[in-house]
Amino acid sequence: MSKIGEYTILPLSLPPTTAYPVPATHTLYLRPHAPKIPTESDSRSLFIVNVPVDSTIAHFKGVFKSLIGAGRVEDVRFEHEQRNVSSQPPTQALVVMSKKEKNKKRKRGEEDPVEIDASLPQIWDRDLLRSGSTAVVVLVDEKSVESALKTVRKLHKSKSKDDRWPVWGQGVEGKAPALGSARYLSHHKMRYPDTAILQKNVDAFMTAWNHNEDEKARSAKRQRNVPDEDGFVTVTKGGRIGPARRDDVERKQAELEEREKKKREELGDFYRFQMRERRKAEQGELVKQFEEDKKRVEAMKEKRGRFRPER
Amino acid sequence: MVSSKRRKIDHHDDDNNAIYAGGLYKSSMFKLQVDEMLAEVQPNYEKRAGVIDEALRTLKGSIERIEDREGLSILEATKLLRKSHNITIPFPDPKPDENAAYKLAYRKPSNVNVIGSYALKTMVRSENVLVVDMIVKMPESILQEKDFMNYRYFYKRAYYLACVAAGLQDAVYDQFSLGFEYQNGNSLHPILVVKSKSKVKASSESGFAINIIPAAPEAFFSDSKLHPTKNSIRPKEVSENATTGHAPSPFYNASLKSDSNLEPYLKLLHAASKQSAGFKDSCILGRIWLRQRGFGSCLSKGGFGHFEWAALTAILLKGGGTRGHNVLSPGYSSYQMFKAVLQFLSSTDMASKPHSYEAPSDFQPLKSDSPMLYDGPRGQNILYRMTSWSYTLLRDEAKTTLEMLNDAAFDQFESTFILRTDQALQRFDCLIRIPYPTQTIEEFSGDHVISGAQFRRRLFEVLREGLTDRVKLINIQEDVTHSWPIKSSAPSSPEKSSFLVAVVFNPINIDRLVDHGPSAEEKKKAAKYQKFWGEKAELRRFKDGSILESVVWSPGSSYSVFQDICTYLTMRHFGADVSKSLTFIGDSLQTSLPSKGTSSKAFEALKQAFHAFEKEFRDMESLPLQLRQLSAISPQLRYAAVQQPNFSPQQPMNNPADVLIQFEGSGRWPDDVVAIQRTKVAFLLKIGSLLEDSNSDTTTRLGLENEDHPLQNCAFLDVIYESGATFRLRIHNDREQFLLERQVKDKLTDNRAREDAITALSIYKRVFVQLPLLTQSITTHCTRFPLLSPSIRLMKQWFDRHMLSRHISEELIELFVARTFVQPYPWRAPSSAMSGFLRTLLFLSRWDWRSVPLIVDFTGTMTSKDVASITMRLEAWRKIDPGMNRTVLFAASNHDAQGTAFTDGGPSKMVAARMTALARSACKLIKDQDINLDHRSLFASSTTDYDFVIHLAPKFAHGEARKAMKQKFKNLELQSEADLELVGYHPVNEYLQELKRLYTSSIILFHSATSGPIIAGLWNPQIVQPRPFKVNLAYATHPETDAANEEEREIKLDQSAILSEIARIGGDMVSRIEVFHQL
Repeated sequence: MSKIGEYTILPLSLPPTTAYPVPATHTLYLRPHAPKIPTESDSRSLFIVNVPVDSTIAHFKGVFKSLIGAGRVEDVRFEHEQRNVSSQPPTQALVVMSKKEKNKKRKRGEEDPVEIDASLPQIWDRDLLRSGSTAVVVLVDEKSVESALKTVRKLHKSKSKDDRWPVWGQGVEGKAPALGSARYLSHHKMRYPDTAILQKNVDAFMTAWNHNEDEKARSAKRQRNVPDEDGFVTVTKGGRIGPARRDDVERKQAELEEREKKKREELGDFYRFQMRERRKAEQGELVKQFEEDKKRVEAMKEKRGRFRPER
Repeated sequence: MVSSKRRKIDHHDDDNNAIYAGGLYKSSMFKLQVDEMLAEVQPNYEKRAGVIDEALRTLKGSIERIEDREGLSILEATKLLRKSHNITIPFPDPKPDENAAYKLAYRKPSNVNVIGSYALKTMVRSENVLVVDMIVKMPESILQEKDFMNYRYFYKRAYYLACVAAGLQDAVYDQFSLGFEYQNGNSLHPILVVKSKSKVKASSESGFAINIIPAAPEAFFSDSKLHPTKNSIRPKEVSENATTGHAPSPFYNASLKSDSNLEPYLKLLHAASKQSAGFKDSCILGRIWLRQRGFGSCLSKGGFGHFEWAALTAILLKGGGTRGHNVLSPGYSSYQMFKAVLQFLSSTDMASKPHSYEAPSDFQPLKSDSPMLYDGPRGQNILYRMTSWSYTLLRDEAKTTLEMLNDAAFDQFESTFILRTDQALQRFDCLIRIPYPTQTIEEFSGDHVISGAQFRRRLFEVLREGLTDRVKLINIQEDVTHSWPIKSSAPSSPEKSSFLVAVVFNPINIDRLVDHGPSAEEKKKAAKYQKFWGEKAELRRFKDGSILESVVWSPGSSYSVFQDICTYLTMRHFGADVSKSLTFIGDSLQTSLPSKGTSSKAFEALKQAFHAFEKEFRDMESLPLQLRQLSAISPQLRYAAVQQPNFSPQQPMNNPADVLIQFEGSGRWPDDVVAIQRTKVAFLLKIGSLLEDSNSDTTTRLGLENEDHPLQNCAFLDVIYESGATFRLRIHNDREQFLLERQVKDKLTDNRAREDAITALSIYKRVFVQLPLLTQSITTHCTRFPLLSPSIRLMKQWFDRHMLSRHISEELIELFVARTFVQPYPWRAPSSAMSGFLRTLLFLSRWDWRSVPLIVDFTGTMTSKDVASITMRLEAWRKIDPGMNRTVLFAASNHDAQGTAFTDGGPSKMVAARMTALARSACKLIKDQDINLDHRSLFASSTTDYDFVIHLAPKFAHGEARKAMKQKFKNLELQSEADLELVGYHPVNEYLQELKRLYTSSIILFHSATSGPIIAGLWNPQIVQPRPFKVNLAYATHPETDAANEEEREIKLDQSAILSEIARIGGDMVSRIEVFHQL
């Protein structure tokens, strides 16, 4: 009863609200964290599936406080934060990182000699999670993981029906920004940030970006002259002035193709056999068209009443 | 040439020839469809002939066995038939003088014969039973040559018919039921309708009725005395030989003549069908075309039915053209013949210039406003049952259809033959129910009149003179006459106490306030004008110096001006009794629009503010780059928003109007999409400060958006003018498209990044490429068609009330309505919001979006090739994605051959199906209720179909959070600062968008912005089934409780947890969540 596969089931009791006065539970599925690429904190982490959309660190602190006592939660990493970091192409990663992550992952900017804060200002006071998403809760030590899972198993066996499960949102008051209209009002205010901050952001971004571009150009140039380990020199576009912009090349190519095509078309009816063939093709087209029309009418016929005048 | 055509027609079922049918038919597709339809409508003669022929034989035998009756006086005859068979003789009005000297007699008919479309095999399946016409020709011996005078022939005819009825009642009482009816509603022509009594055959598919029609012997009555210009009804006090000085009686004469022409016309039609292979089919095409437009031989249906069509075609095969040449060639295909007849109808005005075919030399056409086509050899005006208004309507329909058939790009088969166009509310703009006046104003005019006709004609003339070019068409819908049992006398007519006048507006002139009459110097005309308008006519001096008689109306909507005029005219010419009880039908739909109905003043005001905004940019010298253009993309800037943009200095617009700004190209833009987006922020900041510098009353604020999508536009600038006009500016950079396309094509990008790029590209194309073009087209067409704007707004309101507006984009709705205006067939472009709205609904109800794309040809320049390639593209899509998971609706236009610009993000298949279902039920309602339709029922929607409903707190309903705030803090109202802060604040919208993002795969949400404060939801039916545990499900779950085995335990969508979450997210905005269905 307490497990599904490797996951331990932890129901949370949801306090009824005036809008939805039905007592309900929300089910968490827990297991010790074991990612494909291990990290040092794995042994003291729990992997949690199906977290509520309004989860915050404060919420999880509350839950674990009721399970194994206060002060055991070190950090909570939510799914969308992890994904953002791992799957962005490098040029964008530096842009998308939210402030929160950057504090954690400042190391990424290593190659950049310039320290930047190029991300746009946050416009929400609190993130909401996609329904059914996951999170990793990092606890203070391995023992806490053990005891948390044990407590849950014990709770499953306990007889008391109603109030044995941790209550969602207990002790969160004031620790997380409010939801409802207050959330949208604050969003509405935050989405119009101060112009000075914005200006600084953009300037920082552009500096970093320009630096990046220069770096790229330089490395392309370098590649042109330096043989690789097998002794080959990579051939890149561009003359002495520097490599051509990629899209200029593409545009030129398209232009050339266009011109070629036009030339071919202009000489279309030069020979008699060409004319003959064209006429033949037209005839064939007509027959084909007719066959298609016939098929289409057949298909219409199957839908009954298509050809019956309306009454 | 002719011979080769002939050959093709002879084998016109042969497919090989059909390939080259382009010339003979509209296109091979059109021909194939016509063939299918002809096969479909043909009744199965072989199957049905047995029963019908048997019945005809029985009747013929019985009629021939009826015994002769010797001459009786009218009084005696009436009494005798009543006594012996309880039959009332169907004498026409005025009833015969009982003391008349002549005798009524019955003798065996000289001939009994089947005529009409049954004999010619040109019948069409319809909802009614098959009707077979059988004539019973009266012998000459009971008639006298002078019987044509003063109804005497018709009295004798009525008696003859009553005798036949009596005889049949004796002979076949157990098999058939008998009833009288006026043939084609003509009270001079009572006929006997015989129906089979056996219950088994009562169903419409196999039932039949036989009309027994008494006929006069051919050439018995003198042709020349029955010319349309002659009089045959003499007032009693005048002696009979004074032929001059009487008003002619064309209707009476033609009615009489037509009785002796029944068989000659059968011969004519038969000869035509022998002469030309396409004749019969073209008659069937004509018959269908007429029926779909509500025309029939009946007086109430305009007096032009399939008989008139066939006779006209037959005559045109022989002549009717210039110098007696034939208009139709016998080698024409059925479709060519059909089209040529339409051509003839539309191009020849037979009312102002009476038409005749092989008329005798002494024939003089009659001047009147009813049409005349005099068929010389048979001496009859074929169109004698038509009125001037039904003729105008017929010609108008013919013209419209011709235009349709000449449309090279689109296949108009459906609108020509399949659609019914006679639904009053879809066809007309306004209907007036007019009561007949209590005291009859009918006076003797010299001709036989169907009762009420004189009043109708006078009313028509008054309205036509008074409304002039304000209206395009006036049509009067007449009474339908019904059959009555042979025992009672004919129902008094008119059967109803009122009738309908239907009007099509001319949208340019309908709300004109001043009518100019003749100049004061033209004494005669001025006097006539004054007499017509009474005290309303006044002499006025106009700006150009002219002094004219004129009439002035008080300003208002087009309907109010129209109503004023009609009420005044009926008051002046028919008295207060009539004018007080006029009922106007059709204006109610407009009134359901928010804010001042159809007036477009608020839109104009915003438009002007936009032009000022644009000018400010053009004058700005210190812009970082050269300005290329400023383009509007908001529905508010194209007359298409449901809520008109109302603004004032105290109350700025809550929805900023979206505008795009584009600069001249520059190589200095970065070569990366994300960098471009960030550069835009810098530009917008610069523009903002420039705007604020140039005008200190302007407020600008830079806002951020798409925080999770770095490839999409990330910033906008709200510009709030002191006047309250508010614009939301975004920068358009055309390099984005190129860079995104490269990213999509690049083989090195991973899947997720490619998906992002595809989404960003689709949004870019919609917002920055398609929207400016659409806005331009819709704006242009709103000026071209004044009624497009209110129709769009009504349609949007309809979608919104049915809570579909979040799924079906505003732009798509605009395309739906625009189609109704630019491809209006089978009608003309709508001239009222009502017809625009109802016809769009009809289109939606019939649209088979699975296999047919919506194509809007704004400029009228599409070719059939364009249409074909769009259709091909749809077919290709359906092959790739048969489940229709990505693109469901296809809406192409001149700007977007792809057809997915506004349908890429939805609606889903389910929502599209719901749209069709709702439109169908609306159309059914329109059809069933006809003119009694209550427009509110079209907009009423029920919530019980949904799984759950989120009730919003009243404060947040209608998206009017700002107003709620204002009521709370009275003192804040004075500070305009607070108002500016909240421009563009829509908590309910944000809430909805958030829910949509969080529960993409589990819930489908519905919301109406204008009506109730609710959000309705449906659980995605695909995920409600329990399933094995999996980590990355996109919805909350709980374990199944009743699993026997822990190993096989499954999980299930956790509905109550999700609803609880929704309540928590909504917080103070949600008052109650109501669950209807637990899945």
